[in-house]
Amino acid sequence: MTKKLFFVVMLLLLGSCVLCAQTPGNAAAAATQWNPLAAGLSMAIASGLCGIGQGKAIASAVEGMGRNPGAAGAIQLAMLIGLAFIESLALYTLLIVFVFVR
Amino acid sequence: MQESELWITRIFNDRFSDLGNAALQLVGMHPQARPWANYILMQFLVFLVLVVVVAILRARLSAAKPGKMQQTFELLYGFVRGQAEGQMGQEGARYVAFFGTIFIFILVSNLLGLIPAFESPTMNAPVTLGCAMATFFYYNLMGVQAHGFKYILQFMGPKWWLAFLMFPIEIVSHLARPLSLTIRLYANMFAGEQVTMVFLNLTYLVVPVIFMGLHIFVGVVQAYIFMLLAMSYVGGSIAHEH
Repeated sequence: MTKKLFFVVMLLLLGSCVLCAQTPGNAAAAATQWNPLAAGLSMAIASGLCGIGQGKAIASAVEGMGRNPGAAGAIQLAMLIGLAFIESLALYTLLIVFVFVR
Repeated sequence: MQESELWITRIFNDRFSDLGNAALQLVGMHPQARPWANYILMQFLVFLVLVVVVAILRARLSAAKPGKMQQTFELLYGFVRGQAEGQMGQEGARYVAFFGTIFIFILVSNLLGLIPAFESPTMNAPVTLGCAMATFFYYNLMGVQAHGFKYILQFMGPKWWLAFLMFPIEIVSHLARPLSLTIRLYANMFAGEQVTMVFLNLTYLVVPVIFMGLHIFVGVVQAYIFMLLAMSYVGGSIAHEH
């Protein structure tokens, strides 16, 4: 079952060049017309993965605080620092969006 | 990305554009029509504010009867030094000057953007690049100061026969550090302001205040993270592997 799935996925990936070919038009306009779509998709992916990462970080922090309420202050500090790092990963993508779209 | 001029920048561009062009020509750039940029003047403002505050503090220092200002700055110094010693052990106290400067500069720069007629200088890539470059040169210099020219051995990795593989990897990862420092601070400040602008366009009254509150929090946290990363890099470069 997984071998068949793998085969189908590989076929799709290899055939995508042919399937996604567009009619040749004005080179500059044909390239930049996809910018908003790419920006939206990449920002969505970045924000989604950032959400997953931050969710895991907060889940671990809250569980740690539940197990050891005395260390809640230190755990909260570490959680905030970790959240800021993960947030900045999503912000790198937002920066690219602002630079390349309009 | 629109580039509008603050009132200070407009005054400087109207009256003192010759001074700005002279400074540009000192570094070999061509004279421009309106040489002063927003972030240059905002950086000078931060510099002036910090120098004036510290000058007033210096005049009021007293060991017997510390005033409120002295106690506030002692808290700040204790915080920075505690973080440095937590990251780097006992030797951390020697580097507190740089970390404190970076922290206070970035903190004041980030918070300056919330005042109506002013703008965060850290909202522009050249400013954050300057801070990141200063940190980069500082931690490498401190590494050379601690190890001598054997500092280069740190890039070679644990075994001598892996050196040809480890050296490029280490160089790339060390070059990625100022890049990530720059973009992290720049993107956080820039995106925070853009989000506030977007919500200002959507709802005209009270809702953007929530985003400005978030911007305060993000500004403080990003200044702290910049300092923390600087400490981590200096700690990594002066580490003695015995």
